Amino acid sequence: MSEVIARPGGALASRPLHFFWVVDCSGSMFGEKIGVVNNAIQSVLPEMVDEAEENPNAQLLIRTLKFSTGASWLTDSPVKVEDYAWEDLEAAGVTDLGKAFDLLAGQLDVKQMGERALPPVIVLLSDGQPTDDYKKSLTKFQKLPWAKKAVKIAISIGQDADDDVLLEFTGNRELVLQANNAKMLAKMIKWASTAVSAVSSGVSNNAEENNQDDDASSPDASGDDSDKNDNNAPAQPSGGNGPLILDMDNIPEPDDAGDVW
Amino acid sequence: MEGLLSLRTELTSECGNTYRVEKLLGAGGQGEVYDVSCGSNHYALKWYFKSSATETQKKILDKLIEKGSPTKNEDKDIFLWPIDLVYKAKGEPFGYIMELREKQYKGIVDLMKCRIQPSFLNLIKACYNLTKGYLKLHEQGYQYRDISFGNAFFDPDTGDVKICDNDNVTPNNAKEGGIKGTPRFMAPEIVRGEAKPSRNTDRFSLAVLLFYMLMVSHPLEGKEEAKIKCMDPAAMRKLYGTNPVFIYDPDNDTNRPKPGYHENAITFWKMYPQYIQDLFIQSFTVGLNTPAKRVTENQWLDALAKLMSGIVKCQTCRAEMFYDDIKGKTGHICWNCGQTVKMGSHMVIGKGKKAVHIPITSETKIFSHHINGDYDMETIVGEVVSNPNDPAKWGVRNKTSQNWTYKKADGTQIAVASGKAAGIAKNVSIDFGMVEGMFE
Repeated sequence: MSEVIARPGGALASRPLHFFWVVDCSGSMFGEKIGVVNNAIQSVLPEMVDEAEENPNAQLLIRTLKFSTGASWLTDSPVKVEDYAWEDLEAAGVTDLGKAFDLLAGQLDVKQMGERALPPVIVLLSDGQPTDDYKKSLTKFQKLPWAKKAVKIAISIGQDADDDVLLEFTGNRELVLQANNAKMLAKMIKWASTAVSAVSSGVSNNAEENNQDDDASSPDASGDDSDKNDNNAPAQPSGGNGPLILDMDNIPEPDDAGDVW
Repeated sequence: MEGLLSLRTELTSECGNTYRVEKLLGAGGQGEVYDVSCGSNHYALKWYFKSSATETQKKILDKLIEKGSPTKNEDKDIFLWPIDLVYKAKGEPFGYIMELREKQYKGIVDLMKCRIQPSFLNLIKACYNLTKGYLKLHEQGYQYRDISFGNAFFDPDTGDVKICDNDNVTPNNAKEGGIKGTPRFMAPEIVRGEAKPSRNTDRFSLAVLLFYMLMVSHPLEGKEEAKIKCMDPAAMRKLYGTNPVFIYDPDNDTNRPKPGYHENAITFWKMYPQYIQDLFIQSFTVGLNTPAKRVTENQWLDALAKLMSGIVKCQTCRAEMFYDDIKGKTGHICWNCGQTVKMGSHMVIGKGKKAVHIPITSETKIFSHHINGDYDMETIVGEVVSNPNDPAKWGVRNKTSQNWTYKKADGTQIAVASGKAAGIAKNVSIDFGMVEGMFE
């Protein structure tokens, strides 16, 4: 057949999906732990690229925040997942978690997030106790409309991590993932990255009946609607109150075998 | 990428075949798909995650394998249907075998991201063939349950299609099977939690899929979508479930596409003839809340056959245009170059709303569906040829084995035997048997 003029129009309109890795780089992470984190996140990135390629509704943007003595962003602005190159992190210093929440809050500001987006995903990895006064910063962070909408996952590394602090961050015990050895840590990092597809599709694909009894919550993130996420209720992650239904069935089973830190 | 199955693992199927795991091809919500070999042939193996490897799923697969693909007896099998089962014992993981999807078949996501650029003709053929696939399923009493981006594929160079993920297919209204569908494709009553998938919810999803393919946009995403800052589950529930409004609802203009946000909808909608717009209006106005009034596959097939038959190329720039009977012969302006497109001779087959206008060019073909109403848009029954004795004269050659009747304006009737051609002239018609075609 003879050549014809290409059809008009562009790609399907999509929304940005901001994905944040927030990594504890304090001294206690030195050695194997930070090594596993570096390798696991770098390894999961190509899979996130594949996922993004098959997702017409989202533009996946990645940023990494490290915290130890102080906190800082690794890139000046969000980077498209296909352009993101992992930069190995090094571990030294104390655990200024509050500083990390301050920086996150700066980015989850309505101005920074733009006119329209999908719920952001924040994955916090930590192995210890905060050494600064994180509470004030966390409270400030939690008040932001975009923080309320965000999917917050924490990966608790080893036995010394303060799970209560991580629970305060996620508001949901099931989203505080336990990684007691290298293998589990890599698995949890991989699982957390799948939150991307759950966010952009809104609900888990093969979900059973999901009884969201009313939809009173405003879709407008800038609205001042009361906090729908019940931060004190760790159970029932897939009920109507959570910001998002992740497929809990596929969280890797805790695995006590192997090298416990 | 590491999967559930190790490479080179050998698996024995219920038919007694041995399949060797060669490569992980991908993973989805229910399991992983591998390239496996059996002798010198390669197949696809879908291997279920533990949570999806249920006895119910196994029973569904047994029935599907026993019955075979709904298009297994046709020239082109549309379905990548389960053909064999790898199953050891109750409680153990299992999977099923199907044909591999060949490389020329691309996903709808490739279309959405402009990674492929099919012509309008091939795109509409793909829409037609997919619709035909779902028709065949429904005709056999099945429902698909999850019509969406991820399981429909097409060849952008031919419009041939493949439908995969058929392991969710169940008898209509069956209690078994867990898939509710994919967000943005699910019927509003499913989003609201009031209904389970059925033939009629498939029809809603089909209309969404066709809208996406033809307009590269979503039929419910207009101003209301643009207002939403964070597209979270509550927002999606409102947009697609509790308060859906069609972006081109003629009686409700509150959700029109917003320039800058929904450009594709604005660009494409006006390009399609009224009879296509009407089916989308029916799908997303009355069809939103009255499932039984959704557009059927046959209605889509009639309209899509008419649409692909009415493609005309702009004489100035060769862009594809759609003949719209409402616009007549002089009202077509090229979307690409802005020139008026001249509409030459037509053959009008059938009468009234169902009339199909076929613009006559040297490349024109008449298909079986045009004269037999059998939805076969592959078999050529007539083609435009020039008279070897006088190449300036054109005619339509009878490629069927039946005689046609050539009817002149003065009432003269001449038989057009198989292989003979009937001259094209104004106000002359050809009686094909079931229908007549009139040259205009």
